[in-house]
Amino acid sequence: MSRITIAVPSKGRLKEQTEDWLASIGHTVRQIGGERGYTAEIEGIDAEVRLLSASEIAQGLIDGSLHLGVTGEDLLHDLSPDGPVDFEVLKRLGFGGADVVVAVPQAWFDVDTMADLEAAGAAFRKAHHRRLRVATKYLRITRRYFAQKSVGEYRLVESAGATEAAPATGTADVIVDITTTGATLRANGLKVLDDGVILKSQASLTRSIRAPWSAEADAIVELLMRQPRAETKRPL
Amino acid sequence: MKHDALVAVARAVVETAGGTPVDPDYVLPADIPLELSGEAVRARLCVFQDYRGAEMAMRPDLTLPVAQREAARREAGEDGAKTYTYAARAFRIPVAPDDQLEFTQVGLERFGHEASAEADAELFALIHRAVEACGVAPSGVIMGDLAIFPAFIDALGLPGVTADLLKRAFRQEGGVRAVLDAASRPLEPEVAAVLSAADPVAALADLLSERNIPMAGGRSLGEIVEGLKARCAAIEAGGLSQAAREVLLALREVDCPLAEAAGTLSALADAHGLGAAAVSIAALKARADAILTRVPAAAQTARFRTGFGRRFTYYDGFVFEILAPGLELTQPVAAGGRYDGLLTGLSGGKVSATGIGGVVRPDRMVRVRRAGA
Repeated sequence: MSRITIAVPSKGRLKEQTEDWLASIGHTVRQIGGERGYTAEIEGIDAEVRLLSASEIAQGLIDGSLHLGVTGEDLLHDLSPDGPVDFEVLKRLGFGGADVVVAVPQAWFDVDTMADLEAAGAAFRKAHHRRLRVATKYLRITRRYFAQKSVGEYRLVESAGATEAAPATGTADVIVDITTTGATLRANGLKVLDDGVILKSQASLTRSIRAPWSAEADAIVELLMRQPRAETKRPL
Repeated sequence: MKHDALVAVARAVVETAGGTPVDPDYVLPADIPLELSGEAVRARLCVFQDYRGAEMAMRPDLTLPVAQREAARREAGEDGAKTYTYAARAFRIPVAPDDQLEFTQVGLERFGHEASAEADAELFALIHRAVEACGVAPSGVIMGDLAIFPAFIDALGLPGVTADLLKRAFRQEGGVRAVLDAASRPLEPEVAAVLSAADPVAALADLLSERNIPMAGGRSLGEIVEGLKARCAAIEAGGLSQAAREVLLALREVDCPLAEAAGTLSALADAHGLGAAAVSIAALKARADAILTRVPAAAQTARFRTGFGRRFTYYDGFVFEILAPGLELTQPVAAGGRYDGLLTGLSGGKVSATGIGGVVRPDRMVRVRRAGA
């Protein structure tokens, strides 16, 4: 049986917060090869530990090349072809919180709901012989949500960055993007639709459904599911 | 018979319609299927990028590239009726078990012929005969008519915005239910006041600058004003009456033998005083009669469902699928229908002509025959 593989974020706030969380349950992370290393050890856990980007972790959990990982739910939902059946969120960690939302120009006083957007899309198509453009990096989430809301009058434009600027620059009319406070959206003259919150995402300890699972892996999950020390004080 | 032999048999039947055999472009700009049918089709579409980054698609069926060629022919000033036949490869990401990404469709597309019950029946009979010639006895035929739901909506005499909304919703999964359940939020007073201004567009521009809201996206001030008008009209009209809800929900449920379809729909229309739906129901009856005369076996196999075909995006009238034993409902061995609006859509309104077509799937018929052997 090969070792269990765990992935933690390799950079930024998400990395720090993940390490803080692990430390709080008694498993300090030590990066191998210093700051530039891409493997690590987690104290008290016998597993191969990789440092990867959040989207690599999501992809690895979905395709089964990782057993466990910490990443954003937004990425898990978007990268999984079959939706949430591709992975299992074991524990939401309370950090990295953000919403994936549908936002339209504030000037669109006539559009407050997904149903209004559908009507605007139909009128637009009639007038322009093309569909409204929706810019996003969340292609799958967007397609699923728009279908669920019976909105078909749109085209996706894949956006690699600065999605919130797409309506102002004219590359799209509507966006689906991640936001924490909504300040960036407002600054770009956009508003979130009444029923436009697609997903409330946060960093989560997630288990792969496809990875080969063993008693050894279950034991590791059990360790990671423990409450922080402050709440479960062990006798000295 | 092997696959290629079935292709030859089906092709011989289809070519009895006359016309020009074609094998048009394999690759289309992805815009063509996506603009026409929306993002819903993307999951099935084989898309790639050319070296400039433009999205291209392998043809998902032959109807689109053939219709494109016909639109170009008409735009160049030619007219008159034209029939194309083909036995050609198409590409779709498979969702049903055992289906291949690349497969052959044998079929035909006819443009500019008079749209009539006889024309629909003739096309259906030809495709049905091609299936039988391949040694497959259809286990079922599902038929729809995408003009029926809109006819009932018109007969209900609903306000224009509500009627348009319902007609569009009919084409979306869960759409009609969503419209029936949705309540429109009233506009805030200052926004509503824009509409009573002498020049609503100017009033909207003033309101935007007053609130420091920039213009963004491709909709103009005029389009936003139109949207506000439509929303106000919908709010003023109130929700649908209970009677209208009942008739729409009952209409959605209609699923009966083809021979009974017109009677069932007439009874529903009569019960709610919707005499104006009679024209469309009579057209359905004429088609059903013509089909049952030409293909008597359909009396046992063919059913009519109101909702059938509503997601086949460019079809707008008669639609059908032929099913065979051992395959799933999502794997018809033949399909087709009428798309009188397709050339208009493809040419951006420059040309228009009636259109009807149908195809058989030899790859699936091979499997039906193997299972039956």
